[in-house]
Amino acid sequence: MEPNVKKRVLVIEDDNHIAEGLNLNLSLQGYEVGIAMNGVAGLQMWREWRPDLIVLDIMLPGIDGLSILRNIRLEDEKIPILILSAKAETDYKVKGLAYGVDDYLTKPFSLEEFLLRVDRLLKRAPWSNSSDVFANGFSEKETNFFTFGDNQVDFKTMTATGKAGKVRLTEQEARLLKLFLTNPGKPLSRDKLLQIGWGYTKGTTTRTVDNFIVRFRQYFEDNPKTPSYFISIRSIGYVFYVDPVPDKEK
Amino acid sequence: MNRTKWLIHPVFILVFSILALVTSLSLYIYWYIEISSGLKLIVERFNLDTGQFLTSQTWFVIMVLTVLVGVIIMGIFIIFVYNLKNLRLYRLQHNFINNFTHELKTPVTSLKLYLETFLKHELSRENQLKYIQYMLSDVGRLSEDINRILNLAQIESKNYTGEYVFQSLPETIEKFYQNNAHLFRNCAVQIHFPEKEPYFYRFILPMFEMLLMNLFTNAIKYNNSAIPRIDITFEKQQKKLIIRFKDNGIGIDKSETKKIFKKFYQVGHADDMSAKGSGLGLFLVDQIAKTHKWKMTAESAGPGKGAIFNLILPLRS
Repeated sequence: MEPNVKKRVLVIEDDNHIAEGLNLNLSLQGYEVGIAMNGVAGLQMWREWRPDLIVLDIMLPGIDGLSILRNIRLEDEKIPILILSAKAETDYKVKGLAYGVDDYLTKPFSLEEFLLRVDRLLKRAPWSNSSDVFANGFSEKETNFFTFGDNQVDFKTMTATGKAGKVRLTEQEARLLKLFLTNPGKPLSRDKLLQIGWGYTKGTTTRTVDNFIVRFRQYFEDNPKTPSYFISIRSIGYVFYVDPVPDKEK
Repeated sequence: MNRTKWLIHPVFILVFSILALVTSLSLYIYWYIEISSGLKLIVERFNLDTGQFLTSQTWFVIMVLTVLVGVIIMGIFIIFVYNLKNLRLYRLQHNFINNFTHELKTPVTSLKLYLETFLKHELSRENQLKYIQYMLSDVGRLSEDINRILNLAQIESKNYTGEYVFQSLPETIEKFYQNNAHLFRNCAVQIHFPEKEPYFYRFILPMFEMLLMNLFTNAIKYNNSAIPRIDITFEKQQKKLIIRFKDNGIGIDKSETKKIFKKFYQVGHADDMSAKGSGLGLFLVDQIAKTHKWKMTAESAGPGKGAIFNLILPLRS
């Protein structure tokens, strides 16, 4: 590591003793450390401060750690994320890994092990980035280009081609669309969509989600009134299907 | 839905057994009437003495059978309800263990982290003192958690050995607040003393303090306001004294104002990780109130609008 370029580590942890202890040790190790005590602040710091690694707790007030993880992974596939959680059940580990976490340590953890893992993750990150032309992730073809029906979505150029012709996607549209396209067939609740797609906490108006769905349907559906890709599920939220759903099953 | 799962579902078993019982009852009655009418024919054909046999017992038999079957159905139903209750308790207990281990692991993690840091690095005296303070407060958290479990066990088994004292409640609350002021440093706690009456009551002091501690910490813990407030007022009604603990916290959903006193109950959901705490605090509060033959209720104008906890005592003349 070059001595004058400090690697940045963002710690998202709600217990301030643990957060400060991690801060102390990571600083002594020569990293620049940022602390966020909840999910909303964590996501904001991730956007503005651009850390090289994120240490993430799962049980957080507001947005939980797994939603933060998914939110970040929608935009950035590469940033190393280490989950530090009291949840030791295999279930959570599997979930975390499925959503794209790089490492999972259970509390209480050994300090030495934690520091070595952080060091390893930071060392390895530039190797997988070296072939990457686009610094912000979004590099692999399969995560950038999607087709369903006659529609095409290209996240690299942020364009979508569908019934409505070629459309330029806004950043927020792209994020939400990616969430749907990477989770086909899985029902997504409005709350989850807000948390993952926007980084909002519960209680914020869920109308926002509905407005975006209306737009997606106009872009991609043959008939926006009877959608066959972006389907509403009563009192839950929405589900996306790669293959159009026949009318009678709706 | 999974077919085999559906077959062993308790509701299905309940409905099925009741149907089977009702069918068997009608079969009993049908066969009984069949046989007795056949018997009657035989009696008539052979010119036997009719008075020697049955005759008008038919209705009596049907009634007895119906009552017995009714009792069995009630029995099944009661077992069913108990089973449901047990299932709920089991689920809550499972949640509790999950959350409580989290609650225990957090201070342990912090302790381990600092101890290992001390092993690894030579820290300045100033820093050492600061982190030792942290460790001490983590130990405090741990022993508090352990005490809570022990107290709960004692209170539940009615084994709590405490001396009753005869004291003024407002003054006890004031004293409790003074003794623990360091815990409520950034909060505005106001005890509105009643005008005339000192309200002397007989109660177990450590238990009452436990109740206060739980109410106070809840008001602060579940609070997003810049300065958490607790207002304590005393209200005299015809036969009751109501002590209100009003806060400006996150409030309670109307549907949950009763449930929050249940054992292991937590607002929020275990699966989306929004539930926090042990689910024991308010249960303990309720149990303590009950031990003194008092009552606890909660009310709230809704989420985000604060909550009021009422301790209702009989008015002493």
